[in-house]
Amino acid sequence: MEEQRYIVFLFPSVSYALKAEKILKAAVIAHKLIPVPRHISSDCGVCVRITEDKQQDVERELLGKVEWDKVLLL
Amino acid sequence: MPVTIDARGLACPQPVIMAKKAIEENEQITVLVDNDMAVENIRRLAVKMACGFSVTEKEEGIRNIALVRTGAIDETKGGGGPSAQENELSCAVVAGKETGPLVVVLSDNHMGRGDDVLGDILIRSFVHTLLQLKPLPDTVICYNSGVKLVVKDSAVLDDLQQLAKDGVDILVCGTCVNYFEIGDQVAAGHISNMYDIAETMAGAGRLLRP
Repeated sequence: MEEQRYIVFLFPSVSYALKAEKILKAAVIAHKLIPVPRHISSDCGVCVRITEDKQQDVERELLGKVEWDKVLLL
Repeated sequence: MPVTIDARGLACPQPVIMAKKAIEENEQITVLVDNDMAVENIRRLAVKMACGFSVTEKEEGIRNIALVRTGAIDETKGGGGPSAQENELSCAVVAGKETGPLVVVLSDNHMGRGDDVLGDILIRSFVHTLLQLKPLPDTVICYNSGVKLVVKDSAVLDDLQQLAKDGVDILVCGTCVNYFEIGDQVAAGHISNMYDIAETMAGAGRLLRP
Protein backbone atom coordinates (compact mmCIF):
# COMPACT_ATOMS: atom_id res chain seq x y z
CA MET A 1 0.00 0.00 0.00
CA GLU A 2 1.36 3.42 -0.87
CA GLU A 3 1.95 5.94 1.88
CA GLN A 4 -0.84 8.52 1.87
CA ARG A 5 0.24 12.10 2.59
CA TYR A 6 -2.19 14.23 4.54
CA ILE A 7 -2.56 17.89 5.29
CA VAL A 8 -4.69 19.54 7.95
CA PHE A 9 -6.72 22.74 7.91
CA LEU A 10 -6.69 24.53 11.26
CA PHE A 11 -9.58 26.82 12.15
CA PRO A 12 -10.08 29.59 14.70
CA SER A 13 -12.77 27.61 16.54
CA VAL A 14 -14.74 24.37 16.58
CA SER A 15 -17.71 26.01 14.89
CA TYR A 16 -15.53 27.03 11.94
CA ALA A 17 -14.29 23.45 11.61
CA LEU A 18 -17.86 22.18 11.68
CA LYS A 19 -18.96 24.68 9.06
CA ALA A 20 -16.05 23.68 6.84
CA GLU A 21 -16.99 20.06 7.26
CA LYS A 22 -20.56 20.71 6.12
CA ILE A 23 -19.28 22.49 3.03
CA LEU A 24 -16.88 19.66 2.18
CA LYS A 25 -19.58 17.08 2.73
CA ALA A 26 -21.89 18.93 0.34
CA ALA A 27 -19.07 19.21 -2.21
CA VAL A 28 -18.34 15.47 -1.82
CA ILE A 29 -14.67 16.01 -0.98
CA ALA A 30 -13.23 13.21 1.17
CA HIS A 31 -12.13 14.59 4.51
CA LYS A 32 -11.93 13.70 8.15
CA LEU A 33 -12.42 15.69 11.33
CA ILE A 34 -9.58 14.72 13.67
CA PRO A 35 -8.12 16.03 16.93
CA VAL A 36 -5.39 18.60 16.29
CA PRO A 37 -2.11 16.62 16.46
CA ARG A 38 -0.24 17.11 19.72
CA HIS A 39 2.78 18.76 18.11
CA ILE A 40 0.64 21.47 16.54
CA SER A 41 -0.70 23.94 19.04
CA SER A 42 -4.21 25.21 18.56
CA ASP A 43 -6.97 26.45 20.83
CA CYS A 44 -9.57 24.69 18.73
CA GLY A 45 -9.12 21.00 19.44
CA VAL A 46 -10.25 19.67 16.07
CA CYS A 47 -9.04 20.14 12.52
CA VAL A 48 -9.99 18.89 9.08
CA ARG A 49 -7.67 16.34 7.53
CA ILE A 50 -7.59 15.76 3.78
CA THR A 51 -5.21 14.08 1.40
CA GLU A 52 -2.51 16.35 0.06
CA ASP A 53 -3.85 16.38 -3.50
CA LYS A 54 -7.19 17.86 -2.36
CA GLN A 55 -5.75 21.08 -0.96
CA GLN A 56 -6.72 23.30 -3.87
CA ASP A 57 -10.21 21.83 -4.12
CA VAL A 58 -10.77 22.42 -0.44
CA GLU A 59 -9.43 25.97 -0.53
CA ARG A 60 -11.66 26.76 -3.47
CA GLU A 61 -14.73 25.44 -1.66
CA LEU A 62 -14.01 27.20 1.62
CA LEU A 63 -12.89 30.53 0.21
CA GLY A 64 -15.34 33.28 1.11
CA LYS A 65 -17.46 30.91 3.18
CA VAL A 66 -15.33 30.00 6.14
CA GLU A 67 -11.92 31.26 7.11
CA TRP A 68 -9.08 29.07 8.27
CA ASP A 69 -5.92 29.75 10.27
CA LYS A 70 -3.32 27.51 8.71
CA VAL A 71 -2.77 24.60 6.38
CA LEU A 72 -0.08 22.21 7.56
CA LEU A 73 1.46 19.03 6.29
CA LEU A 74 0.82 16.20 8.68
CA MET B 1 25.97 8.00 55.82
CA PRO B 2 23.76 7.86 52.75
CA VAL B 3 20.05 7.94 53.45
CA THR B 4 18.27 4.71 52.62
CA ILE B 5 14.73 4.71 51.29
CA ASP B 6 12.88 1.43 51.53
CA ALA B 7 10.35 1.39 48.68
CA ARG B 8 9.94 -2.38 48.53
CA GLY B 9 6.40 -3.55 48.01
CA LEU B 10 5.18 -0.11 47.01
CA ALA B 11 3.20 0.45 43.82
CA CYS B 12 4.11 2.89 41.09
CA PRO B 13 4.52 5.87 41.33
CA GLN B 14 5.29 5.73 45.07
CA PRO B 15 8.97 4.66 44.82
CA VAL B 16 9.96 7.42 42.38
CA ILE B 17 8.11 10.05 44.41
CA MET B 18 9.94 8.97 47.57
CA ALA B 19 13.27 8.91 45.73
CA LYS B 20 12.71 12.37 44.31
CA LYS B 21 11.90 13.85 47.72
CA ALA B 22 14.95 12.21 49.29
CA ILE B 23 17.44 13.25 46.61
CA GLU B 24 16.21 16.82 46.82
CA GLU B 25 17.17 16.83 50.49
CA ASN B 26 20.30 14.70 50.36
CA GLU B 27 23.44 14.51 48.25
CA GLN B 28 23.41 10.77 48.16
CA ILE B 29 20.68 8.19 48.70
CA THR B 30 20.09 4.49 48.42
CA VAL B 31 16.69 3.21 47.31
CA LEU B 32 15.50 -0.35 47.76
CA VAL B 33 12.91 -1.47 45.24
CA ASP B 34 11.49 -4.77 44.08
CA ASN B 35 10.21 -4.13 40.56
CA ASP B 36 11.54 -3.11 37.16
CA MET B 37 9.15 -0.23 36.70
CA ALA B 38 10.45 1.46 39.84
CA VAL B 39 14.03 0.99 38.60
CA GLU B 40 13.12 2.51 35.24
CA ASN B 41 11.29 5.46 36.81
CA ILE B 42 14.20 6.20 39.13
CA ARG B 43 16.65 5.91 36.25
CA ARG B 44 14.69 8.65 34.45
CA LEU B 45 14.58 10.70 37.63
CA ALA B 46 18.37 10.44 37.85
CA VAL B 47 18.79 11.81 34.33
CA LYS B 48 16.50 14.74 35.01
CA MET B 49 18.00 15.51 38.39
CA ALA B 50 21.61 15.24 37.15
CA CYS B 51 22.40 12.32 39.43
CA GLY B 52 24.79 9.43 39.16
CA PHE B 53 22.80 6.20 38.98
CA SER B 54 23.83 2.66 39.71
CA VAL B 55 21.79 -0.40 40.44
CA THR B 56 22.82 -3.67 42.04
CA GLU B 57 20.74 -6.77 42.62
CA LYS B 58 20.88 -7.51 46.31
CA GLU B 59 18.89 -10.65 46.74
CA GLU B 60 15.90 -12.33 45.11
CA GLY B 61 14.42 -9.46 43.08
CA ILE B 62 15.42 -6.71 45.46
CA ARG B 63 17.35 -3.94 43.69
CA ASN B 64 19.62 -1.53 45.46
CA ILE B 65 19.75 1.80 43.64
CA ALA B 66 22.39 4.37 44.49
CA LEU B 67 21.77 7.99 43.51
CA VAL B 68 24.46 10.61 43.89
CA ARG B 69 23.92 14.25 42.99
CA THR B 70 26.57 15.31 40.53
CA GLY B 71 25.39 18.81 39.72
CA ALA B 72 23.07 21.51 40.89
CA ILE B 73 19.44 20.77 40.18
CA ASP B 74 18.56 22.87 37.19
CA GLU B 75 14.84 23.59 37.23
CA THR B 76 14.96 25.02 33.72
CA LYS B 77 16.06 21.67 32.35
CA GLY B 78 13.12 19.95 33.91
CA GLY B 79 15.01 19.31 37.11
CA GLY B 80 11.70 18.90 38.84
CA GLY B 81 11.86 15.22 38.06
CA PRO B 82 9.23 13.24 36.25
CA SER B 83 5.98 15.14 35.98
CA ALA B 84 2.82 13.68 37.42
CA GLN B 85 1.70 12.99 33.87
CA GLU B 86 4.82 11.01 33.03
CA ASN B 87 4.45 8.97 36.16
CA GLU B 88 0.85 8.22 35.36
CA LEU B 89 1.85 7.15 31.89
CA SER B 90 4.62 4.80 32.96
CA CYS B 91 2.40 3.42 35.69
CA ALA B 92 -0.48 2.95 33.29
CA VAL B 93 1.65 0.84 30.99
CA VAL B 94 2.66 -1.47 33.77
CA ALA B 95 -0.84 -1.57 35.19
CA GLY B 96 -2.15 -2.73 31.84
CA LYS B 97 0.24 -5.65 31.84
CA GLU B 98 -0.63 -6.70 35.32
CA THR B 99 -4.34 -6.28 35.54
CA GLY B 100 -5.75 -7.66 32.32
CA PRO B 101 -7.27 -6.40 29.11
CA LEU B 102 -8.07 -2.79 28.31
CA VAL B 103 -11.66 -2.64 27.12
CA VAL B 104 -13.23 0.43 25.53
CA VAL B 105 -17.00 0.69 25.76
CA LEU B 106 -18.78 2.80 23.16
CA SER B 107 -22.28 2.94 24.61
CA ASP B 108 -23.33 6.02 22.69
CA ASN B 109 -22.53 7.59 19.35
CA HIS B 110 -21.78 10.80 21.24
CA MET B 111 -19.19 11.57 23.88
CA GLY B 112 -20.56 13.06 27.07
CA ARG B 113 -23.89 14.69 27.71
CA GLY B 114 -25.05 18.20 27.10
CA ASP B 115 -24.79 18.91 23.41
CA ASP B 116 -25.10 16.31 20.69
CA VAL B 117 -23.31 18.33 18.01
CA LEU B 118 -20.32 18.68 20.31
CA GLY B 119 -20.73 15.09 21.49
CA ASP B 120 -20.47 13.96 17.87
CA ILE B 121 -17.19 15.83 17.34
CA LEU B 122 -15.81 14.50 20.60
CA ILE B 123 -16.59 10.84 19.92
CA ARG B 124 -14.97 11.14 16.49
CA SER B 125 -11.86 12.60 18.03
CA PHE B 126 -11.88 9.96 20.73
CA VAL B 127 -12.16 6.98 18.39
CA HIS B 128 -9.47 8.42 16.10
CA THR B 129 -7.19 8.88 19.09
CA LEU B 130 -7.65 5.26 20.17
CA LEU B 131 -5.40 4.35 17.24
CA GLN B 132 -2.54 6.17 18.91
CA LEU B 133 -2.92 4.54 22.32
CA LYS B 134 0.01 2.44 23.41
CA PRO B 135 -0.77 -0.27 24.05
CA LEU B 136 -3.89 -0.44 21.91
CA PRO B 137 -7.12 -1.51 23.58
CA ASP B 138 -7.69 -5.25 23.53
CA THR B 139 -11.39 -4.96 22.86
CA VAL B 140 -13.88 -2.31 21.80
CA ILE B 141 -17.52 -2.97 22.66
CA CYS B 142 -20.32 -1.10 20.92
CA TYR B 143 -23.85 -1.15 22.27
CA ASN B 144 -26.97 0.99 22.29
CA SER B 145 -26.42 3.91 19.88
CA GLY B 146 -22.68 3.12 19.98
CA VAL B 147 -23.39 0.54 17.26
CA LYS B 148 -24.10 3.42 14.87
CA LEU B 149 -20.35 4.03 14.90
CA VAL B 150 -19.61 0.81 12.99
CA VAL B 151 -22.05 1.25 10.11
CA LYS B 152 -21.21 2.22 6.54
CA ASP B 153 -21.75 5.98 6.74
CA SER B 154 -20.10 6.39 10.15
CA ALA B 155 -17.44 9.09 10.33
CA VAL B 156 -15.22 6.80 12.41
CA LEU B 157 -15.68 3.65 10.37
CA ASP B 158 -12.16 3.88 8.92
CA ASP B 159 -10.67 4.27 12.39
CA LEU B 160 -12.56 1.27 13.73
CA GLN B 161 -11.60 -0.79 10.69
CA GLN B 162 -7.96 0.15 11.25
CA LEU B 163 -8.24 -0.85 14.92
CA ALA B 164 -9.64 -4.22 13.84
CA LYS B 165 -6.79 -4.60 11.37
CA ASP B 166 -4.33 -3.84 14.17
CA GLY B 167 -5.75 -6.71 16.17
CA VAL B 168 -8.38 -5.03 18.33
CA ASP B 169 -11.45 -7.19 18.81
CA ILE B 170 -14.60 -5.18 18.10
CA LEU B 171 -17.80 -6.55 19.57
CA VAL B 172 -21.03 -5.16 18.17
CA CYS B 173 -24.24 -5.71 20.11
CA GLY B 174 -26.56 -7.82 17.95
CA THR B 175 -29.71 -6.80 19.79
CA CYS B 176 -28.83 -3.16 19.19
CA VAL B 177 -28.20 -3.39 15.44
CA ASN B 178 -31.42 -5.34 15.21
CA TYR B 179 -33.31 -2.68 17.16
CA PHE B 180 -31.95 0.12 14.95
CA GLU B 181 -32.48 -2.09 11.86
CA ILE B 182 -28.92 -1.54 10.67
CA GLY B 183 -27.77 -5.17 10.69
CA ASP B 184 -27.00 -5.07 6.97
CA GLN B 185 -24.85 -1.95 7.31
CA VAL B 186 -22.36 -3.12 9.93
CA ALA B 187 -18.92 -2.67 8.34
CA ALA B 188 -16.48 -3.20 11.22
CA GLY B 189 -16.13 -5.73 14.00
CA HIS B 190 -18.41 -8.68 14.46
CA ILE B 191 -21.91 -9.12 15.79
CA SER B 192 -21.85 -10.32 19.34
CA ASN B 193 -24.22 -11.11 22.16
CA MET B 194 -24.74 -10.10 25.76
CA TYR B 195 -22.87 -13.17 27.07
CA ASP B 196 -19.66 -12.12 25.33
CA ILE B 197 -20.20 -8.46 26.14
CA ALA B 198 -20.84 -9.07 29.84
CA GLU B 199 -17.95 -11.55 30.11
CA THR B 200 -15.52 -9.21 28.35
CA MET B 201 -16.51 -6.30 30.56
CA ALA B 202 -16.29 -8.45 33.70
CA GLY B 203 -12.84 -9.70 32.70
CA ALA B 204 -11.42 -6.28 31.86
CA GLY B 205 -8.43 -4.91 33.70
CA ARG B 206 -9.57 -1.42 32.84
CA LEU B 207 -12.80 -0.28 31.27
CA LEU B 208 -12.71 2.95 29.32
CA ARG B 209 -16.03 4.63 28.66
CA PRO B 210 -15.94 8.00 26.90
